[in-house]
Amino acid sequence: MTKYILHRIFWLIVVLLVVSFITFSLMHLVPGGPWDKEKTLAPQVVEALNKKYGLDKPFFVQFGNYLVNLLHGDLGVSYSRQDRSVTSILLTGLPKTATLGAIAFFLAIIIGIPFGMAAALKQNSAIDYISVLFSTIFASIPGFVLGILLIIIFSVTLHWLPTGGWGGIRQIIMPAFALATLPAAFIARITRASTLEVIRQDYIRTAQAMGLQQRVILVRHILRNSLIPVVTVAGPELAFLISGSFIIENLFSIPGIGRLFVNGVFARDYGLIMGSILFYAFAVASINLVVDLLYAVIDPRIRFD
Amino acid sequence: MITDTVRPHRSLWGDAFIRLRRNRLAVTGGVIILLIALTTIIYPFFSRYDFASQDLNAILQSPSMKHFLGTDELGRDVFTRLIYGARTSLSVGIFTQLIVLGIGLPLGAISGAAGGRADNLIMRFVDVIYAFPDLLLIILLRAILGGSIYMIFLAIGLVSWVNVARLVRGQTLALKQRDFVTAARVFGGFGSYITTRHLLPNSLGPVIVAVTFNIPRAIFAEAALAYIGIGVKPPTPSWGAMIRDGNNVIFAAPHLVLFPAIAIGILMLSFTFLGDGLRDALDPRLRR
Amino acid sequence: MSDKPLLEVRNLSTYFYTQDGIVKAVDGVSYAVDRGETIALVGESGCGKTVSALSILRLIPEPPGKIASGEILFDGIDILTLPKDRMLDIRGDRIAMIFQEPLTALNPVLTIGLQITEALERHRNMHGAVALEEAIRLLKIVGIPQPDQRVKDYPHQFSGGMRQRAMIALAISCEPELIIADEPTTVVDVTIQAQLLELIRGITEKLNTALILITHNLGIVARYAHRVYVMYAGHIIEHGSSQDIYHHPCHPYTRGLLASVPRLDEPRKTRLQPIEGQPPDLIQLPPGCAFGPRCPHVIDACRQAVPPMTEVSPGHYAACRLAVPDRKQS
Repeated sequence: MTKYILHRIFWLIVVLLVVSFITFSLMHLVPGGPWDKEKTLAPQVVEALNKKYGLDKPFFVQFGNYLVNLLHGDLGVSYSRQDRSVTSILLTGLPKTATLGAIAFFLAIIIGIPFGMAAALKQNSAIDYISVLFSTIFASIPGFVLGILLIIIFSVTLHWLPTGGWGGIRQIIMPAFALATLPAAFIARITRASTLEVIRQDYIRTAQAMGLQQRVILVRHILRNSLIPVVTVAGPELAFLISGSFIIENLFSIPGIGRLFVNGVFARDYGLIMGSILFYAFAVASINLVVDLLYAVIDPRIRFD
Repeated sequence: MITDTVRPHRSLWGDAFIRLRRNRLAVTGGVIILLIALTTIIYPFFSRYDFASQDLNAILQSPSMKHFLGTDELGRDVFTRLIYGARTSLSVGIFTQLIVLGIGLPLGAISGAAGGRADNLIMRFVDVIYAFPDLLLIILLRAILGGSIYMIFLAIGLVSWVNVARLVRGQTLALKQRDFVTAARVFGGFGSYITTRHLLPNSLGPVIVAVTFNIPRAIFAEAALAYIGIGVKPPTPSWGAMIRDGNNVIFAAPHLVLFPAIAIGILMLSFTFLGDGLRDALDPRLRR
Repeated sequence: MSDKPLLEVRNLSTYFYTQDGIVKAVDGVSYAVDRGETIALVGESGCGKTVSALSILRLIPEPPGKIASGEILFDGIDILTLPKDRMLDIRGDRIAMIFQEPLTALNPVLTIGLQITEALERHRNMHGAVALEEAIRLLKIVGIPQPDQRVKDYPHQFSGGMRQRAMIALAISCEPELIIADEPTTVVDVTIQAQLLELIRGITEKLNTALILITHNLGIVARYAHRVYVMYAGHIIEHGSSQDIYHHPCHPYTRGLLASVPRLDEPRKTRLQPIEGQPPDLIQLPPGCAFGPRCPHVIDACRQAVPPMTEVSPGHYAACRLAVPDRKQS
């Protein structure tokens, strides 16, 4: 078991290394250096700037330095806002992105799992059809489109909620819902499918043959088995949530990491871009790791492999 | 005397097509897609407006008889721009899949069929790409490759092939164990022959479904890129760009944002319904 | 034997309503078991034996299945008419079932101990440490070594034979009056088969439990069952004591079954004699005898109406117009 954990952590590090290498290389392939913005600078100035940021050194040396700094938690300096380190910039954005992601995830689970289960248990009833229809629809429409619709309805037409910004429930409710619906729909679908499968299993029949009441069977036998595939999906969904959040952040003008990233792309701020991508990759990979561990807790068959 | 009752035999594809036809949502999706596609082709011959023609006397108008869906902040006809935007979205959606198949199919098949080190190597590579949040990688690639529409195809395609590769690999692995492959080997079939003649055709069903589901994601990626501002270079219209521009005047003219958003939603929804229908139709477990 | 049978299935019909038609899985089937008696339900796959057993416990999934008609008298009461919660009381407690495939019949995410103790909690009001002790005792009875440790294990950690023993432990946990064993030995190999059957026999004799043994394996039937019912296509086509069935089979199907089993005392070169033809489609059954199309002795009367059950000798019945006891040599 511990071997498994160590193995996964090792892979996490390897993946992050490769990700940073690829990102680093890609950044250097972008046509036009970091100073190519609006005003053209005199060659000596460019040269001096390059020297200052170590951009004149050979590629691998640069990468090596970057990695070393990384281990100290230093993601480098922002090129567009030269007085601040990437780490500090990202840290201002992190709480907003994390809060938004967490709330959206929570909503997705609270809505998705009960709907999915209810649909499976009462197959072919009204709640089943509605649940299936809604989950199909909402699983296909991106949160971005939904967000726009929400803004148009609740901000522009009804004037109930602000179009964006950050500060309290009024600001966070629309982006959280926009972000949550797609994962919620997905989770509902998976939960329904998995519960349907579980109900058909022989061991449910055995439990019934032993005269256990439906409620006991539901909680002890059905629930735990149904949730196994859901946990598998929940991880990537959460990861998707975090990475897809940047579009929603842009739409609702939320000063999170997503916005910083997009601004960085425009400003050719290499440091910021790399830092954001690494942050996202790290978040995704560690969430997947946690999910894998959770999976082992829930399903004893995995534990003893 | 032995009497047998045998049910009529139908091929997998014939059976699947019949089942697909019965699925109303899938059919609706397919019809919508066809309608949109046809419109993008035919409309340019009949339209009064070009997507770039500005009429600064008639800006920000609501839908009317003259302008079916109104005009934008430069007086351009929204409906026309919407149709041309559809062309962009559809071409991105579909042509990206060529790249996806071109990379994903062979890599997945090789990985599954060859096994061993090749498999390991390819799969590790896939894992790394999977670890990337795909939209971010697409943005990065786009920044490198530039803004022509072909580069957008490439940027999206280079990121989206991974799930097809995984799928094909899984299929190949499963099929490798099956008896008909062993039989083919016994009869003298060798690696690449078996792969192309036996393994690939059998994986075709799930691959078709995966590609159909990939298309809306590609459409969304293109719209997202355009919304951020690094999509297809203007003046080629794109729904994402229309939303970006319209956002500035959202209170005055919400229709500028509403219509492209709804368009994206409908197109993605149609492909998803179609994909769902295909998946159910091709599912061997549901066969009679 | 005692006056009234413990279980009496009367004219049971269980149908499944599908898109292709109505599958008459069980059609007018009757059998009975006395207290402490072991009967065997024998037949090919798909003949309806499992469905009839599931009907007794009312475990037929309601769409698409339905118990269309008949009565099932358990200790004198028609349990088909009982309200659902009374039925739940009977299941596991007075009638228990051993399923064919223990790997899928046991919940993979719960320990064996938990699955047994929850039955004990439900029916015998045992909780906590008391229930655990009892579960360990049950595992010991069925011959699982180190029961105090294995009680905390999960199903996938047991071997096939051990899993089946665990299922038996579960079935006897509440000391039922009737056990239905559905192909209990099909998934294990021959040596384990014998052990399991001896175990079951020992338990049923000690506790005076009635047993319905469902199987397609004629070999075990003779040794363990008092009476045998042979099923074909949802009907009982012959029944009697196992002596009668083995030594004097009447129905051509029964004879065909017995003839097709390879025997150790025949020369090796003797060819196996299969029964010609295929089992019938239960949606499109012929109007007459279901076995007609495959029967070597079929006559016109057989094709027109289902043959009635006739008593060939005391206690021995066959549903065949040509029912003639077959006197085997010695």
